[in-house]
Amino acid sequence: METVGFLLDGIFTSLQWFNLALLIFGCLIGLFVGAMPGLGSVNGVAILIPITFIIPPTAAIIFLAAVYYGAMYGGAISSVMLGIPGASTAVATVFDGRPLAVKGEAMTALTAAAVGSFVGGTVSVILFTLFAPPLAEVALRFNAPETFALMVMAFATFVGLGGDDVPKTIFSILIGLALSTIGLDLITGKPRLIFFNIPGFLHGINFLVLAIGIYGIGEMLWTLEETKGKVQMSKLSVNMKEVGRAFGALKKTIMAMNIGSFLGFFVGILPAAGATPASLMSYGITKQLSKNSKEFGEGVPAGVVAPECANNSASTGSMLPMLTLGIPGSPTTAILLGGMILWGLTPGPLLFTQEPEFVWGLIGSLYIANFFTLVLNIALIPAFLMVLRIPFAILAPVIFVLCVTGGYAPTQSLHDVWLMLLFGFAGYILRKLDYPVAPAVLSIVLGPLAEKALRQSLILSDGSMGIFFDVSEKPIAAVIMYIAIVLLIMPAFGPLYRRLFKKKQTA
Amino acid sequence: MSIIKKLALVVVSLSLVAVSSVSSAKPFSPKKPVELIIPAGQGGGADEIARLVQGVIEKNDYASKPVIPINKSGGSGGEAMTYVKKKAGDEHTLIITLNNVLTTPVNQPELGIDFFNDFTPLARLITDTFLVWIATEGKNTAGVETFDDFIDLAKGNGLVMGGTGSMSEDELLLGMMRGQFGFDAKYVPYSGGGAVAKGLVGGESDFTLNNPSEQMGFYQSGDSKALVMMTPERNPAFPEVPSSYELGYPDLEYYMMRAFMAPAGIDAEVEKYYTGLLHTVYHDDEFQTFNIDDGKLMSWLEGFGLKDFLAIEYAKHGEIIKNFN
Repeated sequence: METVGFLLDGIFTSLQWFNLALLIFGCLIGLFVGAMPGLGSVNGVAILIPITFIIPPTAAIIFLAAVYYGAMYGGAISSVMLGIPGASTAVATVFDGRPLAVKGEAMTALTAAAVGSFVGGTVSVILFTLFAPPLAEVALRFNAPETFALMVMAFATFVGLGGDDVPKTIFSILIGLALSTIGLDLITGKPRLIFFNIPGFLHGINFLVLAIGIYGIGEMLWTLEETKGKVQMSKLSVNMKEVGRAFGALKKTIMAMNIGSFLGFFVGILPAAGATPASLMSYGITKQLSKNSKEFGEGVPAGVVAPECANNSASTGSMLPMLTLGIPGSPTTAILLGGMILWGLTPGPLLFTQEPEFVWGLIGSLYIANFFTLVLNIALIPAFLMVLRIPFAILAPVIFVLCVTGGYAPTQSLHDVWLMLLFGFAGYILRKLDYPVAPAVLSIVLGPLAEKALRQSLILSDGSMGIFFDVSEKPIAAVIMYIAIVLLIMPAFGPLYRRLFKKKQTA
Repeated sequence: MSIIKKLALVVVSLSLVAVSSVSSAKPFSPKKPVELIIPAGQGGGADEIARLVQGVIEKNDYASKPVIPINKSGGSGGEAMTYVKKKAGDEHTLIITLNNVLTTPVNQPELGIDFFNDFTPLARLITDTFLVWIATEGKNTAGVETFDDFIDLAKGNGLVMGGTGSMSEDELLLGMMRGQFGFDAKYVPYSGGGAVAKGLVGGESDFTLNNPSEQMGFYQSGDSKALVMMTPERNPAFPEVPSSYELGYPDLEYYMMRAFMAPAGIDAEVEKYYTGLLHTVYHDDEFQTFNIDDGKLMSWLEGFGLKDFLAIEYAKHGEIIKNFN
């Protein structure tokens, strides 16, 4: 009951006109930075932190959280409309969002993204409200072996991601893993795989460089070849019938919403993971468990809902360790954490009792921010759809420029721009040869996390893999590991099972 | 700080500006945002100071362009140092130091970093220290009340220590303690002091050698406790934690310097500008209060004093590394 009182206070705090104005303003900025390739929530929040020194801490966190939130929605826009991930958190949204747009169902894709984000955001903030302290305890118990088990689970779901061609999928995963090892060794700090001694490789391969290359440049080349430059997007009409149809399509995505919301939140509260892995894992698992998993990647609304739901859910979740443990759950919350320290707050187990106005103001504002971003997004869909009316001859150069700036922005080195172009061509060729590229993107994100967790665990266990399977010592890790193994072998037995099942039916 | 002091400061800085404008036609000021490279992960001690410096500069408009902290945590500072080395002559790059800038060039000769020629030291603002931390409910350290209890326990049992990366300060300190007290521990590297602190309270490690600020949240909530602080005197932020001198271990003394450096090959004007900027930050009320409350020692040092200090520390760390291997 006490919680309800605090929450109402928080919601009223965020409804004060000043806070509300900041919240809406923050959502709009977030939409913009999220939609611009190369600018993500991390940059948005980092750039805006100084502004927050002149306003009270509660207003400041409401503003920045709204930017963070808006960016999660915004990322989907360029993923769907241009086929370039607007932010790292929206890479998985490209997988099905883009094909939907190409089929002429951009309206459905954007609606699915907005509604999915809303559901994920709302479910996670409710979970946050109800269970913050016990969940902080879970986050605390989630250490290296548990993290590694979770990563194995993510990879297991992705073996099924590339369709039935398991060898090609594994090949793609391995390419991603190999690329993720470039740079400095995580444990010893020694440089490794620095090809031709080019210093640009020292910072490793930024995952956005790969994603923008493959999806931005690769997609453009593909479209050019397919259409010889005469792209005719199917006619788009925005009327109530279309809107109704778009919402109707969401009925089939309830499972994706559940998976995205809960998995996203859970991955979000784990330190060091964040919204990008959450959205990729949610996509993989939804696909794996879906009845029509073969249609994923060709444009199904569930394929948009799953990652969008998860990235919003995870971004809320990642605020939990930030507030209760003082540990950032994502790169963006790391910046927010810095802000909190500067506002004179000590994040940690005592924050909830010492600064209730701040904490509950933030939580209350998340409910409100969710509502407003949904309304803004639905209202702006016709404006976003205008993009599709632009002739390809004009759009292609624009996409190209956005790709180059997006590749350059994170590290500000031209090395990455060349790499991005290279990945673009490589992605195009892989696609011609019918190799799935999504698994490579997943593994370059999760590879470093998995490697670090694996090596930390093996140091703890003196090199014994038993640490991942010991149910009495590390129950969480072991259970996740066994689930991962089941998920891994499922696709192998799937066709066999189906064949047996069919035989029975015909017999 | 009183108003008079503030006024005095304004006068001093104004006159500094006046002097520099006399000595050169165009005093330097940044023309684009300044990158502040952090050779460690987010949420650690260096990260905190870097972001505090950024905030203080932004809030008070101390600089004409914003300062942007960028974490390059790879390879115990190797990634950050290589980056700054490549930026020789760049007037818009700074790096905040951990002690890993003293150890990484020695440990990783293949990076080709020459500590004395690849950087322009600007100023030291703070020295931070280390404490031995255990979790209040640590399952392997139950019953440990004092540092001596801890030594006895650690001698017999292979405890697990969480740390911030191979050959970083805390692993060197573990090496020092191994020599002094005859115990060893299994060292597990994490990404940053924040993650190390969490690993301790989460029960993955048995003890850590965190900076004060990294454990502050858990210390205040009673989840972790400190056994000894590696300084001659107690610190007002941790009144009940004994100093190593009190316990009779004066050799257990170690500091982490929070200094700032620029790339090599910058003009004297530029050097002067950034040193002046840091000096203003150092004397900022908020900066002072924050750090003192956080258990840090305010210790401004610049110019030749700083160069001497770095030379001595570099030699000292070389010695520790030699004994470590």
